[in-house]
Amino acid sequence: MGADVSAPDSGGGKKGPGVKKQARKDTRVDMTPMVDLGFLLITFFVFTTTMSTPKAFGFNVPDDSAKPEEQNEAKASGAFTILLSKDNHVYFYEGQLLPDGSNFKSSSFSEIRKELLRKKDNTPEKDLVVIVKPGELANYKNLVDILDEVQIADIGRKAVVDVNEAEKTFIELTEGPAPPAGTK
Amino acid sequence: MDMTAFVDVAFLILSFFMLATKFKPPEVVKIDNPKSVSSENQPDKDVLKVSFDKDGRVFVSFSAEQDGREKAQLMAEQLSKQKGLNLSNAQIKNFVNFSVGGIGVPISQLPSLLNKTEEEYKQLKQPGIPVEDSTNNQLYDYLNAMLTGTGGRKPKNIMLNGDNGTKYPYFKNVLTAFKKNGIFSFKLVTALEGVPSGTPLYKKRNK
Repeated sequence: MGADVSAPDSGGGKKGPGVKKQARKDTRVDMTPMVDLGFLLITFFVFTTTMSTPKAFGFNVPDDSAKPEEQNEAKASGAFTILLSKDNHVYFYEGQLLPDGSNFKSSSFSEIRKELLRKKDNTPEKDLVVIVKPGELANYKNLVDILDEVQIADIGRKAVVDVNEAEKTFIELTEGPAPPAGTK
Repeated sequence: MDMTAFVDVAFLILSFFMLATKFKPPEVVKIDNPKSVSSENQPDKDVLKVSFDKDGRVFVSFSAEQDGREKAQLMAEQLSKQKGLNLSNAQIKNFVNFSVGGIGVPISQLPSLLNKTEEEYKQLKQPGIPVEDSTNNQLYDYLNAMLTGTGGRKPKNIMLNGDNGTKYPYFKNVLTAFKKNGIFSFKLVTALEGVPSGTPLYKKRNK
């Protein structure tokens, strides 16, 4: 790079003899530092910026202090209750939980969508409400995943409630007793 | 060797990164957000963000622009007044600065946190705001101080930034603090995920 390229001093049709053609200087610039700079900037941007822009997922909670008569009562026939437990276990039942637990079913995150869609098709829209009950051992991802499934199924009404004793019993029957409180 | 093509490529990649990415917000805590199909962008103005990591450490942070700083200032002033912390002006100024990255200490440790320099703050592993039980839910006190300061005016965007692995009870305690302050509507920070095709939402969006 950077070597002088002088035009051959020959050939007809040129200026007269004696007029020596001036040796042109090479105008090309050494680009290596520019490449260095470019890659330095790339590395800087790779490390200081982030690709994924976080998204906002709207979430509303009911006012617990509202008087019972002001609260919306979920119609039993349209209710679809999803229970979340440890290790990504999912349980669900429709309507009210029967005392013998015969409608208490086990499911998974990949199958729950099918169940939600089936329920949606069989239920009048105004009655349909999905109740999500995350257990003590469920994690935040499980909850958001389920809320997301509800959104994917395009179901407008959902509620997040605590697990009650009867449901706890059924979960324990399926999974074995819960570890003593205080352990993670 | 002719480097021109190389320069072209380098600057092409550079411009791609400049346009397609955003600067990482300053965070003192590492949080791995769950995914959702929600496509609404996270707002960046007038934001109050409550973050909790997988160990259940809770942090509050404000956005760095005018509205956020103003609310952080009010929160510090009210906390100082309500809890008798007697924070100096310098400490309140530190609170505002640190609140961009996140404040996660029990109220009793707040004065010592605010005596630190920016560098010390970044190095510090904060213990998180205690939310464990209803008698000592200090997130409630933090939020209440801010709402008292603003006269009940809530920040426009209240975000909840949770980690995948956080156990539900922590989330519930955070919710309790929100509810007790009359905050019933907020947004969860999530990462984008595509809508599975054939589902009702997919059909609705592609109508």
